[in-house]
Amino acid sequence: MGLDRADDAGVYRVTDDIAIIQTVDFFTPIVDDPYWFGQSAAANAWSDVYAMGGVPKTAMNLVAFPLKDMDISVLRQIIQGGLDKMKEAGVVLVGGHSVEDKELKYGLSVTGFIHPDRILTKKDLKQGDCLILTKPLGTGIINTAIKGGLASTEIIEMVTRLMATLNKDAAEIMENYPVHACTDITGFGLLGHIAEMVIDCPFGIRLSSKSIPIIPGTLDYAGMGLVPAGTYNNREFRECMVEFASSVDRITQDVLFDAQTSGGLLICVDNDRADDLLQELKEKGIKDAAIIGEVLGEPKERIIVE
Amino acid sequence: MTKELDCRGLACPAPVLQTKEALEKEHPKVIKVVVDNEASRQNVSRFMESQNLEVTVLQEGPDFHVTGRIGKNAATEAPVEKKPDTEHKKIMVMVANDCMGHGDDELGEKLMMSFLKTLKEMGEELWRLVFVNNGVKLTIADSNILPVIQELEKEGVHILVCGTCLTHFNLLDKKQVGETTNMLDIVTAMQLADKVINI
Repeated sequence: MGLDRADDAGVYRVTDDIAIIQTVDFFTPIVDDPYWFGQSAAANAWSDVYAMGGVPKTAMNLVAFPLKDMDISVLRQIIQGGLDKMKEAGVVLVGGHSVEDKELKYGLSVTGFIHPDRILTKKDLKQGDCLILTKPLGTGIINTAIKGGLASTEIIEMVTRLMATLNKDAAEIMENYPVHACTDITGFGLLGHIAEMVIDCPFGIRLSSKSIPIIPGTLDYAGMGLVPAGTYNNREFRECMVEFASSVDRITQDVLFDAQTSGGLLICVDNDRADDLLQELKEKGIKDAAIIGEVLGEPKERIIVE
Repeated sequence: MTKELDCRGLACPAPVLQTKEALEKEHPKVIKVVVDNEASRQNVSRFMESQNLEVTVLQEGPDFHVTGRIGKNAATEAPVEKKPDTEHKKIMVMVANDCMGHGDDELGEKLMMSFLKTLKEMGEELWRLVFVNNGVKLTIADSNILPVIQELEKEGVHILVCGTCLTHFNLLDKKQVGETTNMLDIVTAMQLADKVINI
């Protein structure tokens, strides 16, 4: 696949039946606990592979570590977090690279397999499709509250667990449904990723803001001004494609643009089967999943939020 | 009294935190915060608004001067922190019989089944479900209603079953759901709950 259309990961066909799918991601710590940071970084790294319908197979660690300022045991815990997620995902660690750096960073490069005829892109949506989101929004805002020391322990635990949750189960479940398009929600925020879906497409999207799952506390923190710069940038970049109904307040609008870490999948599924898919997701433990909107024929390349 | 803060060169959330600290410690009537990026301008304005201050913003070159004043309607006390909305109401439901209401027991059992099935509509506010007296008979293998209670437990509702009652009916080893409890736990739960509903 070429680079002309934005997609989640790179795909290279090897034979008629097998293509490899590759992606890489790394970042600075988002939670204080190194073990959980390792888990979240790993869950985030192969989320792109799941979003395209692939199965991650091998990974390499990428580490930048401040050896002079930090105890090496911190790094061990981060790597252990990553390893435990690999075990959960059935991924094998085949190597890695580390450098000394002032700022700690961890991430992974991931290679997976995918059938060349069964690649899910962001672009093949159909009119009438329903959109299902599998994780609640708000990690960017809550991480800002955590940095500011203003988040409660209860919320920290909740968001840590959410970020470390793999999109594996959701991806396996959606395989048995008529899913036309899929992406994972990360740094561009929900509306940023939806904008990528509808740009240059003969479709628009309508979202119902009341059905969009949001992590408890997010709206309060956003109302206090704990919104990361990335979220405002997302808004500035894509605002022109979005029409908000007057009932959607400014704070909710910002949450819909909030830059997510290890967010959920946004699944575009045939309208007739959306309820069944949602029910199966919920039955298998993806409790926050919700139908949040639909694909419209008109207005093209627009997102309407009601 | 005017408090001035220079937050240029700082990234979010530092300007908001400094503003918050200054307001809480010094209670100024006017606070002026200088920031040099758009995200900080929006966040500091928003924070001041959440503290009921009247906000004005002036742009000077690359900088924004965000000024907050205690208005007519604003509280003169120290700013109060909002509780995050994770704090759901806690509802405790106490079931003291194996059927609902008095009269016809067959109808009462049907009603109890329907009641417990519908209970999940309370959502996350449903906090504890306690079974006492004849109610404990709903938690044993022979009960038709047992699967409904097990479903609630799976969804995260904390189920408590009175140990004295199980012993009285000689059902201690037949209980299939929930945690065996004592009167102290029940009374403590009643005290912590925002609402106790008796059936």
